[in-house]
Amino acid sequence: MTTVIAHWSHDNRKRAESILASYPERRSAIMPLLYVASLEHDYVTSDAMRDVAALIGITPVQVQSVASFYTMFKRSRVGDYLVSVCTSISCYLVGADDVLSAVENLVEGGRDDAGEDASISVEHVECLGACGGAPAVQVNYELIEGVTPEKAEALIGWLRATSPEVVLADEMQQLFGGRRSFDWGPSEAEGATRPLPAFGPYGSARECR
Amino acid sequence: MTDKILTVRMDAYPSDSHKLHRYVGTGGYEALRKALTEMSRDEIVEEVKVSNMRGRGGAGFPTGVKWGFLAPSEPRYLVINCDESEPGTFNDRQLTERDPHQLLEGIVISSYALGVNHAFVYIRGEYPKAARRMQSAVEEAYEAGYLGEDILGSGFSLDVTLHLGGGAYICGEETALLNSLEGRRGEPRLKPPFPAIEGLYGKPTIVNNVESISNIPWITVNGGAAYAAIGPERSAGTKMLSISGHVKEPGNYEIVMGMTWRELIYEIGGGIRDDRALKAWIPGGASAPWFVPDEHLDTLVTIEDVAANGSMIGAGAVVVMDETTNVVAAAHRIVRFFAHESCGQCTPCREGTFWLEAVLKRILNGGGRPEDIDLLLSISDNISPGLVWPPAMTTICPLGPSAVSPVTSITRWFRPEIEAMISMREVAVV
Amino acid sequence: MSELPGTVSITINGVTHAVPEGERLITAAERVGEYIPRFCHHEKLKPVGKCRMCLVEVEGPRGRALVTACTVPVESDLVVDTQSEVVKRAQEGVLEFLLINHPLDCPVCDKGGECPLQDQAMAFGRGESRFVEEKRTFLKPIPLSDLVLLDRERCVLCDRCVRVADDIAGDPLIEFNGRGGHVQILTFPNEPFSSYFSGNTVQVCPVGALTSVDYRFVARPWDLESVRSVALSDTVHSPVEVHTSRGRIVRVYGADSDAVSDGWLSDKDRFGFSTFRSDERITVPLIRSDDGFREASWTEAVDLVASKLGSFIGVEVGAIGGANNTNEEAYVLGKFMRTVVGSPHVDAQLGDGFDPQLAAAITNRGTINDLDAAATILVWGPDLKETLPVLYLRVRKAVRNGASLVVVSPYATGLDAIATHKIRYRAGSGSEILRKLVQGHGEYEGAREVLDLGPVIALVGRTSLTEDARLVEAVAAFARSLPEARILPILERGNVFGALDMGLAPTLLPGRVSTGDVSRAADLENEWGSLPEVAGKDTIAMLNALVDGDLRALVLTGADPVRDCPDPGLASRALDEAEFIVAFDAFVTDSSVKADVILPAAVWGEVDGTVTNLEGRVQRLSKALPPRGQALSVASALDNIARVMGTDVNAADWRVINKEIAQVAPAYEGVTADYLTFEAGDEGAILPLPDAAQPLGYIPVDVSVPVVTDRYTLHYAPSLYDDGVIVRHCDILRALPSPATARLHPRDASSLGVSDGSSVRIEHLEFAVTVDTEVAPGSVVLPFNHVATKGLAATASVRIEAVRGGA
Ligand SMILES: Cc1cc2nc3c(=O)[nH]c(=O)nc-3n(C[C@H](O)[C@H](O)[C@H](O)COP(=O)(O)O)c2cc1C
Ligand code: SF4
Ligand code: FES
Repeated sequence: MTTVIAHWSHDNRKRAESILASYPERRSAIMPLLYVASLEHDYVTSDAMRDVAALIGITPVQVQSVASFYTMFKRSRVGDYLVSVCTSISCYLVGADDVLSAVENLVEGGRDDAGEDASISVEHVECLGACGGAPAVQVNYELIEGVTPEKAEALIGWLRATSPEVVLADEMQQLFGGRRSFDWGPSEAEGATRPLPAFGPYGSARECR
Repeated sequence: MTDKILTVRMDAYPSDSHKLHRYVGTGGYEALRKALTEMSRDEIVEEVKVSNMRGRGGAGFPTGVKWGFLAPSEPRYLVINCDESEPGTFNDRQLTERDPHQLLEGIVISSYALGVNHAFVYIRGEYPKAARRMQSAVEEAYEAGYLGEDILGSGFSLDVTLHLGGGAYICGEETALLNSLEGRRGEPRLKPPFPAIEGLYGKPTIVNNVESISNIPWITVNGGAAYAAIGPERSAGTKMLSISGHVKEPGNYEIVMGMTWRELIYEIGGGIRDDRALKAWIPGGASAPWFVPDEHLDTLVTIEDVAANGSMIGAGAVVVMDETTNVVAAAHRIVRFFAHESCGQCTPCREGTFWLEAVLKRILNGGGRPEDIDLLLSISDNISPGLVWPPAMTTICPLGPSAVSPVTSITRWFRPEIEAMISMREVAVV
Repeated sequence: MSELPGTVSITINGVTHAVPEGERLITAAERVGEYIPRFCHHEKLKPVGKCRMCLVEVEGPRGRALVTACTVPVESDLVVDTQSEVVKRAQEGVLEFLLINHPLDCPVCDKGGECPLQDQAMAFGRGESRFVEEKRTFLKPIPLSDLVLLDRERCVLCDRCVRVADDIAGDPLIEFNGRGGHVQILTFPNEPFSSYFSGNTVQVCPVGALTSVDYRFVARPWDLESVRSVALSDTVHSPVEVHTSRGRIVRVYGADSDAVSDGWLSDKDRFGFSTFRSDERITVPLIRSDDGFREASWTEAVDLVASKLGSFIGVEVGAIGGANNTNEEAYVLGKFMRTVVGSPHVDAQLGDGFDPQLAAAITNRGTINDLDAAATILVWGPDLKETLPVLYLRVRKAVRNGASLVVVSPYATGLDAIATHKIRYRAGSGSEILRKLVQGHGEYEGAREVLDLGPVIALVGRTSLTEDARLVEAVAAFARSLPEARILPILERGNVFGALDMGLAPTLLPGRVSTGDVSRAADLENEWGSLPEVAGKDTIAMLNALVDGDLRALVLTGADPVRDCPDPGLASRALDEAEFIVAFDAFVTDSSVKADVILPAAVWGEVDGTVTNLEGRVQRLSKALPPRGQALSVASALDNIARVMGTDVNAADWRVINKEIAQVAPAYEGVTADYLTFEAGDEGAILPLPDAAQPLGYIPVDVSVPVVTDRYTLHYAPSLYDDGVIVRHCDILRALPSPATARLHPRDASSLGVSDGSSVRIEHLEFAVTVDTEVAPGSVVLPFNHVATKGLAATASVRIEAVRGGA
C-alpha cells in the first residue's frame, strides 16, 4: 500500500498522513483525502481519485463510487468562487429563487461546469442549515444569511472586482447579508481559498491583514 | 424552574462562549470532573435513563435506553451526528459553533459512561465554521487535559476525530452516517443489526445527536431527576426549536415543551410577516406532515401531542407558511429535496420520489390532470402503505416515506387548491 | 409442533412447515413451495434487501409488518403472509416503480423470454402504465470490458453484479456511481472490468442489462436447448448448462452446485467453447504428404495407423495424452496401448506434474467442500487465480467465512491479498522454506501457529514448471503431519485426474492400482489379457528414448509436449526423431504438426462420458452437439484401429466402456453412468464409493530436494489467458493475454543495470523488464505458455544479462 503520493506537495503529504493516522481503518480517510486531493488537482479528477485509491489501497472505481455519491466532491472544474444558493423550502418561501436568478443572470452559463477560465460558478443547492437567516448563500462554503437579489448581485460584483484570496463568512455577511439564523459570535479571520470546505487540513486559510 | 440549559452561556457571553476559558470560567468541565471522580459508568447511564431525555436527532428514542443496548465487546465507539441537513433545522449548527465545549464535555462524559475510547463527530461538509470551532475546542481540550490520555488523572483516555461530510442529507440517518464514516457510499444499512450491536467497523456503536449530547453535562451535574422534572413528562427537558419561513422572528429558541402552537408561532416566532394569515406549518422538519391553523393551533407542542395528531416534532424544525404560499410549489420543493437526497439503493424511494417530483412539477407547469391527485396518493401509498404516521415503509429507511408527507399534507388540507390549479392549467412558479 | 434439531417451524399462508433454522425466509419459503418474487436476492450473495420486491407480511408484537423475505432469517413460530392484499399492493408497486424508467425493449433484448422483470410484470404487474413523464435515458450499451456490455436503461440496480465482482471475485472494478435517480453501474475511465469472473455478472443479472459480447442477438431463449455438463478448462470441473441453438453451442451458464463451484465459472470456462467453432479446427483425417498434410478418409487413415503401429514391437511405441479426454477415452487409450500395442509407456502428464500415485491416490485426500470446514488453509502450489479460478473463489469464500490462509509461493498470487500469512521465496529454494516451516520457529513461527490449528486443508502442487516435482511430495508429507489434515493435490489440465485414474501413467493401472500390485494386476489380466512385462516410461523418459532410438513411434491424444513439457527442445527433437506419430487432435499444434497422421478429435461438447476432478469427483460430461465434420471421439477411433489390428477393445459406445470401467477399475466400482444419473444426483460422486475399495493409499515421503544456488532462478508464472489451445483459438479470449515482461526485484534490476522498460536477455530470448518488489531477490519471473516465452526451457537456473541499447 502506498503511504505517500510522491508528486503531492510536502504540505499535502503531511495532511494525508495525519488524516490517515486519525482513523482506525484506512478507508475512513477517503472523504478527507478527496478534499486534499482536490487541493492537488483542483477538483476530483480521475488522477485525484487514483491517488486516493492508492493511498487507501482500494480501486479507483471504488473511490469514484464514493465521490460521486456526495455533492461537494466536484468532478468537473468549477470556478475560483463557487456560489451556492439554497433553494430549499425555508429559503424558497422567502425568495431564494429570485436570488438564484439574479446570480445566474450575472454569471453566464451558470452552473457547476464553468469553463477553464471562469472564476465564478453558480449552483443551487438543498438546505444549508441557515433557514432562520433565509435566503442563504455560500461562497466556497462560507455562509451569508439574509441575502436579497440586490445584495447577491453586489456580491458577484465584489468577487469579480476584488478577487479575494480568502473568502471570509463574517466579512461577506457584513457586506451582503441580512438577518442571521442566530448570533454567530465574534468574527473569524479564517476562510476558504477555493471551493472546498475551509476546515483544518482541507485548505482553510487565515487572512493576514 | 430552569428554563434554559443549552443556550445560557452563549446568550450571556456572545463574544467568547466557544472558548475554553469562558467555558471553564462558567462551571465548564466540572460535570466531567464529577463524572470521572465521583460516579461510576453505570451511575451516569442510570442518570441519563432517569432524565427521560429523548434523542433530539428526530427519532425521539430515549437516550438512556439506547445506551443500555450497547453490546459489551471492545472496542466501542461513540459517534456524534452533526450532519443536520433537514430543511428547517439549524439548531445543531448553533450549539456546535457557539458552545462546542458543552458538546465536547458531553462527549467525554458519555464516552466514559459507555466505555468508549474513540469518539467521532460527523459534521456536515457545508458547516466549515462549526467544524473550525469544534476543532479549536478539541485542540484546547487536548491541551488542557480534557481529552487524550488519562483524563484528569482518572485513567480514562479518549480521542476525538472530526469528520466532514461531503454533501448528502441521507448521511444524517445513523447507519448511512456510519457507512460514510467508514469511507463508503452513504447508504443506510439494513436493521437489524442496530449500531449498538454492530455499528462503526462492525463494532458496538452509539450514535447521538449534537443536542442530545449537549444536555449530558447538565444532567451529570444536576441529576436525571432534575432534568425529568422540566416540562411535560414524556417531553422532558428543554428543546431547541428552529423556526423559519414566514414568521417575523425566525431563529432558534430553546423552550420547555408544553405551550400551544399558537403561542409558539405568534409569541415566540413573533407572528406572521406583514401580519398575513397563517396557512400551514410543518411542526418538525421537511419530513413531517403539515399542521393547519383550523385544526392544530391549540395543539400542544409536545412530542406526544404532535404524534397524536399525525405528525412529529422530529429534530425541532418549524417551517411556517402564510396565505400567499402556493402549497403545490411548496410541496414540490420538499419532494424535490428528498428525490435529490435519496441514496437510490431501494426501488420505491429512488423511483417513487423521482415520480412524485415529476408529477408535481407537471402540475405546476400547467400539465395537471384530474387523475393526478389519486396518482400522487397511489405512488405515495406504494412508498408508505396506508399513508399513516409514523409511516409504514416499503423502503429500507424513512427517507422515502418522508417524501410522502408533503403530498399527503396538501391533498388532505388543500385539495380544492390543487384541483383548481389543475383545472386552470395556468403556468405557475417552479 | 415439535421441532427437529436444526429446524424451526414457521407458518406460511396458514400452513406450518419445518425449515432449516436461520435460513433466509425467501429460501425457506421456496423450499416449501411458496415462491416469493425477487430481483436482488441471490442464494450465493450476501443479502442487501435493495429491490424490495420480496416484501411479505410478518406477524410481530406490534401487528403485521412488511419485511423483505430475502433479509429475514427464519426463527421459531414466524408467521408469514405472502399473499395478503398489502403484500400484493407492495409487490405491484415495486414492479411498477421498476418499470417506469425501464425501456421495455423486450423484443430486442437478449433476456426477453427469460427475464424475471418481464415475467413478473405479467404475473404481478398492472396492465397499463400510469407513468406519462419522460423516462431516464442513458447512452445505449457501453462496454464494461472486452467481454461484457452494459445497457444502463435496463438495469434495476439490484447490486448482484457489484457483489459478484467485489465479494465473490475480489475484483472491485465495477461500482455504483452517483446517487438517487442518477445511480448507475460504471467502471473507472480506462480501467475496464477485466476480471476472470466477469461472465458471472451476465448470468446473475436479472434483466438484460449485462450481456456478453458473444451472445448479443445470437439466440432467443425459446430456441435454446440445454444439457447439464461440466467445464473442462481445468481440473475443478465446474458444473455447467450448455445451451445450444440450431446445432451450435451459443452459451454456457454455471449450473447450481453446492459441492464444486457454487454456480460460478471462470470466463475461460464460460467463453472458451467458441474455440471449438474455430475455422482452424481439424475436421477430417490428415496424412503427411510431401508438402505438409493431405486430407484422407477415415478408412485410409485408420488402415495406415493400424499397419504402422503393428510394424513396431510394442515397447517401441509410447503414448502421451488423455488429460483432455473423458475417462472412457483415457481408459480405452490405456487398454489399447497395454493390450493391443503391448506397450506400458503411457503418460497423461507431460513432465509438468508430479508423482502420479501421489496425484491419484494420496491418503487423506480432501474435497473442495472441506475448505468450508477448515480452520486453516495452506496453499503451496500454482497461483490458483490463474490456474484453477473457481477453486480460488472457493478459497476466498472459506476465508471470508473465517478460515486462516497461508500462501507459500515464489511470486505474488491472487490469494495474497486475503492471506493471513504469505511466504515468498526465491524460486528453487522451496525446500529451505519447508525446513523452516517444519521447524516452526523464527520468521515463520506465526505461519506455523495457524497451521497447527486444525482442521487443515492443504492445496499442494507445483508452483511452476521450474519447481522440482519432488518438492510437492515433501510439502505433501509436511501437510499430512498437520492436525486433521486433508490434502488436495493440484494439477491443472482438464481431466488429468481422470486419465491417471484410468491408468495413464507408467506406475498406475485403472482404478488407482499400482503396477506393483501383483494380485490386482493379475485381476486386470483376467479381463484384458496379459500386460506388458517391462516397466513403463513417463513422458520425459519417452522423449529421451525417442531421441536415443529406444522408442520409435508415438501416439498423442490431445497432448502438445513441444509446448507443455518443461524441456521443449527435448520434445521437439524427440518428435523429429520418431519414425511414426499419430496425433488425435482438434488443432494443428507445435506437436501435432510433426505427426504422420492427424486424426480429427471430437472435443468438449461433442462427446459423452465421465470425468474426474481434483477431489476425485466423477461427473457426467455431456454431448451437446455432434462432433464437428468427421471428428470422432478418441475411443471410437481407437476402437476402429484396434479392429483393423485384429483385436477388439470393445469401445464403440461410451456406456459400454463406462460399465467396463466400473467393473475392472477398483476405485470406480459401482460408478456407472446409471449410478451417476439416477443415484448420485447432479454433483456426481466422490471416489471411491463407500463400499468400494481404494486399492492404493499413497503416503508421501519427505524427500530431500536440493536448493538451486545459481545466481538467478526462474519462476515461470502461469496465467489463465495463456497461449494454450482454448485461448489461442477463441475469437473473444485471444485478445486478452497481457504482454510478456521479465519481472525482477529492484536490487537485481540495479545490479544488472536495467530498469522498467529496458531489456534483458534470458537464455536466448529478449524481454522488456518490469521492476517488481513482489519478486524474490535473485529470481526472475516470466509468464509461462506465452508466445514470447515459447521454447524456453523450464529450469530453475537461468542466465540473464542486460541488453545494451534498449529494446
Ligand atoms: C433520513 C434521515 C435523516 C436524519 N438526519 C439526521 C441528522 O441530520 N441529525 C441527527 O442527529 N439525526 C438524524 N437522523 C436521525 C438519526 O438516524 C439518529 O436517529 C439520531 O442521530 C440518533 O441520535 P439521538 O438519539 O440523539 O436523536 C436522521 C434520520 C433519517 C431517517
Ligand atoms: S429509503 Fe431512500 S434514502 Fe433510504 S435507503 Fe431507500 S433509497 Fe436510500
Ligand atoms: S429480493 Fe429482497 S429486497 Fe430484493
